[in-house]
Amino acid sequence: MKTLELRNLAKTYFDPYAGSHVTAVHDVSLDVQQGDFVSVVGPSGCGKTTILNMVAGFIPHSGGEILLNGKAISGPGPERGVVFQSFALFPWKTVLDNVGFGPKMRGVPKAERDRIAHEYLELAGLSHAANRYPNELSGGMQQRVGVVRALANNPEVLLMDEPFASVDAQTRMTLQEELTRIWQERRPTVIFITHDVAEAVFLANRVVVLSKGRVLDEVEVALPRPRVWDDLIEDETFKRLSAHVLHMVRSA
Amino acid sequence: MNILLRSWSAYTRATARWPGLAALVPFIPVIALWVAVTESGMFPRAFLPGPVEVVKAFFSLTYRGILPDYLQDSLVRLFTGAALGMLIGIPLGVLIGTSRWAHRVSWPILLFFQAIGDIAWLPILLIWFGFGLTTMTFVIVYTVLFPVVLNTVLGVESVPRDLARAARSLGASPARVLWEVTLPGALPNIITGLRNGLGYGWRALIAVEMIVGTSGIGFLMFDARRSGSVVEILLGMIILGLLWYIVDAWILAPIERATGQRWGLVTS
Repeated sequence: MKTLELRNLAKTYFDPYAGSHVTAVHDVSLDVQQGDFVSVVGPSGCGKTTILNMVAGFIPHSGGEILLNGKAISGPGPERGVVFQSFALFPWKTVLDNVGFGPKMRGVPKAERDRIAHEYLELAGLSHAANRYPNELSGGMQQRVGVVRALANNPEVLLMDEPFASVDAQTRMTLQEELTRIWQERRPTVIFITHDVAEAVFLANRVVVLSKGRVLDEVEVALPRPRVWDDLIEDETFKRLSAHVLHMVRSA
Repeated sequence: MNILLRSWSAYTRATARWPGLAALVPFIPVIALWVAVTESGMFPRAFLPGPVEVVKAFFSLTYRGILPDYLQDSLVRLFTGAALGMLIGIPLGVLIGTSRWAHRVSWPILLFFQAIGDIAWLPILLIWFGFGLTTMTFVIVYTVLFPVVLNTVLGVESVPRDLARAARSLGASPARVLWEVTLPGALPNIITGLRNGLGYGWRALIAVEMIVGTSGIGFLMFDARRSGSVVEILLGMIILGLLWYIVDAWILAPIERATGQRWGLVTS
């Protein structure tokens, strides 16, 4: 079942410095099935974050369609959860209240949304940090909160915008493994934006390679799950797929 | 050298244990200088009284009930004015900070009126409202308003865009974003604005009390001038400084720190 459909999506905006119109996204079509995990990878300036911002409803699109369960989207909404590169946690709320924010907006009573938040914090191994404030946590822990805050709201699709780009390399690997584990347990529909080819292949069922605002190619990733770095780093299929995607990105 | 270092480290330890000490000790040389000048007989006593006379005047005015009454009058005026200033200033600042249109329209007007200082309004206020509470309140509200508005705008604009986006994509309506994200995010700046506003307001109040007052610390000082009582003028000046120190260091600064630092919005 198709959850998300992008039909000939385009984005043109006026650049006041250049004094002319710039096309960031030319013509992108993409189908995402329910429960799928799709990575979108490409060099900087290829339009991948612009696509995510349009799907999230943060910026309007200038051409084509974005359909969620067959209906056109307008503006941001809770059925499209977003995980930000900047984490975007509310600094004045505890970890528990951050995760309970979505349910609070739906009008879920305090006791029930605390229960939901605790459940998701446990999923991310963060139960001990429930009453702490975001600035008391490491970057890796903050982004774990960012991920479960979006999941706790039960979105139809989870949009992740280079979420692990600003944490250190070791933490990033742990977070990637945790994300694949959580995905297997909960099966959310995920669109994952990244410029890191290995990350894209490691996480996804399908990698979409983007270049200059167009889809260059799509690559199926049939690696078995659960995926852990210690296994995959030696895996021939993983190496071959990564090299293939990398060549495309570099020649793009 | 060694003795200096050791006494300095003893002082550092003592102030760490009793923070009030760090506020009092720097005044010892100031008071000592004051005593030395008055005792030297350089000036007549009526022209420059010493600390002992000022303390005596403090007790006498307190005993007669004048000082507590005047102090209360001044503080009530300051806090009513500040409350009204916040009531107008915060919503105005949020509006200007969130709406580009409101920003464009109001900014030149704001800067124009900010330049017309509080006291510059007095001549026309005296004609409109006469010598009374309305004139005083207007000046205080006016003085408090600008720092509150300008800092609120700054605070609203400094809230990261991703926070509002996160709230929207978690299901918050624009009104909820205002309440859950914009206001708490701007709060440390709003408090800074309030702190500055109260500081300016306090000074403006004293000036206005001198001209239009029939009570208050400013009136006390100006009235003392008429009777040539330098002791009471000095007492008034000391009270101004002390009171502001108490309000700022014991109430406002801790609130500012508590919001900004716990949230990690302000470092140090």
